[in-house]
Amino acid sequence: MVEDWRLLDTGGNDAYYNMALDEAIATARSMGKVANTVRFFRWKPSAVSIGYFQGMEEEVDIAACKSMGVDYIRRVTGGGAVYHDYSGELTYGIMVDEAHNLVPKDILRSYDVLCSGLVVALGLLGIPAEFKPINDIVVAGRKISGNAQTRRMGVVHQHGTILREVDPDIMYSLLKVPSEKIRDKRIKSAKERVTSINGYLGREVGFEELKEALKDGFERALNIRFVEGRIAQYEQELAAQLRVKYASREWNFKR
Amino acid sequence: MGKAAYKVKGGKMIRVQLMQRDGRIEWLKITGDFFLHPEDLIEEMERMLISSPIEEEGISKSIAALIKERKGTLVGVAPMDIARCVMMAGELDG
Repeated sequence: MVEDWRLLDTGGNDAYYNMALDEAIATARSMGKVANTVRFFRWKPSAVSIGYFQGMEEEVDIAACKSMGVDYIRRVTGGGAVYHDYSGELTYGIMVDEAHNLVPKDILRSYDVLCSGLVVALGLLGIPAEFKPINDIVVAGRKISGNAQTRRMGVVHQHGTILREVDPDIMYSLLKVPSEKIRDKRIKSAKERVTSINGYLGREVGFEELKEALKDGFERALNIRFVEGRIAQYEQELAAQLRVKYASREWNFKR
Repeated sequence: MGKAAYKVKGGKMIRVQLMQRDGRIEWLKITGDFFLHPEDLIEEMERMLISSPIEEEGISKSIAALIKERKGTLVGVAPMDIARCVMMAGELDG
């Protein structure tokens, strides 16, 4: 039987609201207030997110972010620093019961399962992508998507980035590197290690086309059917509260 | 203060900042792009390691025991990798 999941497209919002809403949805799911959910979102303004265990000042050039109007935020999930470019990148979130039969107990295997929606979607766009453990999706050996998950209150909460377009020069001007010399080397190596949908296909894939492919990809890979939904009032209210935490210096600079 | 970074082959990056006194950890911070579930176990791990002797096997065992006791999962690095990075930072402090 095909199961109904909620699909949310929350558009572009700032980093603090984006991460607050993700947590609010996971919480609402844990309380059974909403269905298992996939959410698409963008970051407006563009933002750098760092993994839960990373040091903000170790990873992010705060002065560069400030001068470019880029937000910076700590995620609730581990993993690395990501630059979420408003015009280049789409982020998704999945909130699903940990006990769901789609979700392996083993965290590494569960990345593979949940990422399969992205792999199928990229295939539909003509990109032969594959999952690469621990938490990446690659095409011809180059990274096109990074993913991270946490498990709390009986809910798996995974989010990840899909690179529609990428500019390593901007990315590395916002992330800290030990010296200019290494910066150049890193940008060169990033150009070789990272790719994007538009870069790979040599054509412009718009956000709407990408979201359609992702919707199909998740439905096929997970054998689910999406029902386009809305943010519940409980989620709205909780997100507004949680936004205060995510915007705080205490949270963002805690490590 | 000693600072060290260690990239696990096929895994993730660990960074340790550490201050020591008389061969024991006085203060440390463990950061990196690894995963640890539940996440706030990292703060507990750091607290636990304060006053521990800077000794690789002991640190590795304490970390593994804490994760097991809390039914946690460490992904992308192993307790021995964190211990190794602590040792590297310890050598650079002082």
